[in-house]
Amino acid sequence: MTNSISCVEQTGCILLIGSNTTEQHPLIGTRIINAVKKGMKLIVADNRKIRLAEIADMHIRLENGTNVAFLNGLMHVIIKEGLADDEYVKTRTENYDELKAIVEEYTPERTAEICKITPEEVVNAARMYSAPEAAMIVYCMGITQHSHGVDNVKSCANLAMLTGNVGKAGTGVNPLRGQNNVQGACDMGALPNVYTGYQKVVDEASRAVFEKAWGVENLPGNVGLTVTTAINAACDGQLKALFVLGENPMMSDPDQHHVKTGLENLDFLVVQDIFPTPTTALADVVLPAACYAEKDGTFTSTERRVQRVRKACDPPGKARQDWEIVGDIAKRMGYDGLTYNSPEEIMDEITRVTPIYGGMQYDRIDQVGLQWPCPDREHPGTPFLHKGTFKRGLGLFGPASYMPPMELPDEEYPFLLATGRCYFHFHTGTMTRRTRLLDREERFPYVEINLDDAKRLGIYDRFPVMVSTRRGEVKALARVSDVVVPGHLFMTFHFEEAAANALTNNALDPVAKIPEYKVCAAQVRRAS
Amino acid sequence: MKRAKTEELKTFFESLSDKYDLRVPVKLHDGTRVLGSLSEGEFAIEGGKIPQKPTSVFFPQFDEMFVVTDGDVAMAKPPAKPIMVVGMTAEDLDCLEFIDKFFAENFRDNIYYNKRDGSVVVGVSGRCGKDGEFMKIAGGKCDIELISDGECFIVHPYTDKGEGLVEKLQADECGCGGVHMEALRKESDALPKEDEETVDKASELIRQGKVTDEFWDEIATRCIACTSCNLACPTCTCFEVYDRERDGKMVRQRIWDSCQLDGFMREASGHNPSGKQLQRTRRRIHHKLAADVERWGHRTCMLCGRCDEVCPTEIGIKSVCREIVKRFS
Ligand code: SF4
Ligand code: SF4
Repeated sequence: MTNSISCVEQTGCILLIGSNTTEQHPLIGTRIINAVKKGMKLIVADNRKIRLAEIADMHIRLENGTNVAFLNGLMHVIIKEGLADDEYVKTRTENYDELKAIVEEYTPERTAEICKITPEEVVNAARMYSAPEAAMIVYCMGITQHSHGVDNVKSCANLAMLTGNVGKAGTGVNPLRGQNNVQGACDMGALPNVYTGYQKVVDEASRAVFEKAWGVENLPGNVGLTVTTAINAACDGQLKALFVLGENPMMSDPDQHHVKTGLENLDFLVVQDIFPTPTTALADVVLPAACYAEKDGTFTSTERRVQRVRKACDPPGKARQDWEIVGDIAKRMGYDGLTYNSPEEIMDEITRVTPIYGGMQYDRIDQVGLQWPCPDREHPGTPFLHKGTFKRGLGLFGPASYMPPMELPDEEYPFLLATGRCYFHFHTGTMTRRTRLLDREERFPYVEINLDDAKRLGIYDRFPVMVSTRRGEVKALARVSDVVVPGHLFMTFHFEEAAANALTNNALDPVAKIPEYKVCAAQVRRAS
Repeated sequence: MKRAKTEELKTFFESLSDKYDLRVPVKLHDGTRVLGSLSEGEFAIEGGKIPQKPTSVFFPQFDEMFVVTDGDVAMAKPPAKPIMVVGMTAEDLDCLEFIDKFFAENFRDNIYYNKRDGSVVVGVSGRCGKDGEFMKIAGGKCDIELISDGECFIVHPYTDKGEGLVEKLQADECGCGGVHMEALRKESDALPKEDEETVDKASELIRQGKVTDEFWDEIATRCIACTSCNLACPTCTCFEVYDRERDGKMVRQRIWDSCQLDGFMREASGHNPSGKQLQRTRRRIHHKLAADVERWGHRTCMLCGRCDEVCPTEIGIKSVCREIVKRFS
């Protein structure tokens, strides 16, 4: 998030796009509900009738995969009606002319046609978002998990900059991060192209910092493989060995058959996890790891806040701390430098080599965490980014044109299938499906289908149906409601016995390599 | 009556740890106060109620009911040492009194009474609440009550067992002839009764059928079904039963349940009489303020305040009652 969670209480309007906030970020969802009660405007741009849609000032059910067109449409209206923050555009941004030229084509009528909404919705949303002094864009996987996810994100940024909504309280472009520490993992360089604090591996100066800190020479300067491309490389036989820590790609990556082929094709697969999973089932070596309650360290929240976690109990059996396991493996491979005595010692190293974490020593985050960038011990942390200036100087408009998703419904597969999560399960269900009451809440795989479609196909609520795509077929219980629009299906990927990712399409965004989980063509029929 | 310093109380409890399974208020590293043994943290008798419900010492989140090995059934046994729980507030003691009654109705719940029988309950009150707040004096419902006068604790036994134990406490006699205690009692009686009045009024309005479903719907929209309100409530007694098999043994356990979950009342067919959040939220409050009034003759919310403190969306029972009174009276 460019801004803080508390900004929800300081904003005049939230454009919520592709986030089922009350289910996936319930505490933020609650803040939004409370803010709406106090008069904040809420625009929900989401195909599904999520809980927040019920209290929103506008619920726009745009077709999945048409976010760029929708956002361009809003900008078109904002420019045409003189609602942009001209001063901000002039002094803080560049490349405005190109943006203007591209969004010119997205008249309310054309936008409405692409998004399957009305021109009035485009005009009204544009007016509502640009009216208050401060407005926020809040988004989640509904924006990113597309073959053009990067264009979606850029378009959100364009809209925010156009209206002067970056760099002050109650504004910003705010992706809600998922897992407890996905932000921290990215910050720590668990990405193929950066070291900690987003210091690029291709940059010689950053390599020099780490060579010195770690007492090594010639750190590689080339960018590695992303998760999704690694699986492709394993299928091609280019990738020989894989070390997976706390992930379950057999359940979470697109096109399960493809993932299985890739993992089976490896010479050597190591998986470090807390429970057996479909991925550990394929591993040559399984390393038992400590779970969140069994470790000390920090988690970094969605608002970039680095927070301490403390061990509540010892890990069972032979399970060990992740850092100990990694350090020991490094040692056996001949490098002693990853041996530490405590997580605090690791944090000290992090603060030395990571400018944005420079002032995050344990004594400073003992009770309340700090938000990065926090470069030194005197720095109070940063509640919102880009104040006064962007990191690169001027904010760059990166306009994008609408591109349809890779696979759209056709005669053979007439439904649009989107996948996501439900409230009671976490990701691939490794933990929550082992938890009695959570499993009881959602015990069976299900597929959401609209009332009209169900009626036409003779499908009843809670009756078993077969859902198929060009990749595979799974059996699930029908959940008939108006949560999804006609022509759409929605499934969650928590269930091993009906893995939604046996169905999804391994189409990737060309830049971020994120898979298109939100759109593929599917078919549904009664089981037997 | 004896008047003990905090240190003296600590020594007293320490001396009892051979004979009892001690659960005293201790402070963990991060500042949280919990019930535990003296080895788990610093003795922290002051600071008000324990955030976790103290009745959990007798009705824990997970509890073994019986174990089956090769067809032999072994019922859960009483603990090796009786439990001694210290730090229950006056409201907590009201809650305990109710669940004692609840677990004895129709049949005696042995799994509960295994722990409850033979236990010692020590209450705490007076000038030792959070930020020095005065805590209501219970005046009974426990074996011993520790009543703070701001410096020391007047140690008031109410039962024979309590008296026997207090004899061993090394502390001076108060020696004021009851004057001291009388003043504290007056202070306790003068505590504001707003919460009580609000909740009683709300209970009346609910029972008169004045609270609309639109209201419940509005409140229910805010519930995120985190179940904290139930898990924190000392008078919530619902549990789920399930079997775990491991190493040739089958263990039947019970685990706290929550009426805020869809699965709480869902039938195997999928039909659910409480299938909407509205119904579940209404039930949570209705149960304690209306249904239980019919059944037991009194409400079963004892105003401990825990649900209001844990609910992330501010719809604990007191806040909902305030809203009810505001809108419907
Ligand atoms: S205040 Fe809340 S937690 Fe306490 S007894 Fe009443 S309902 Fe239960
Ligand atoms: S604590 Fe609040 S949000 Fe959580 S289940 Fe109870 S009422 Fe709902």
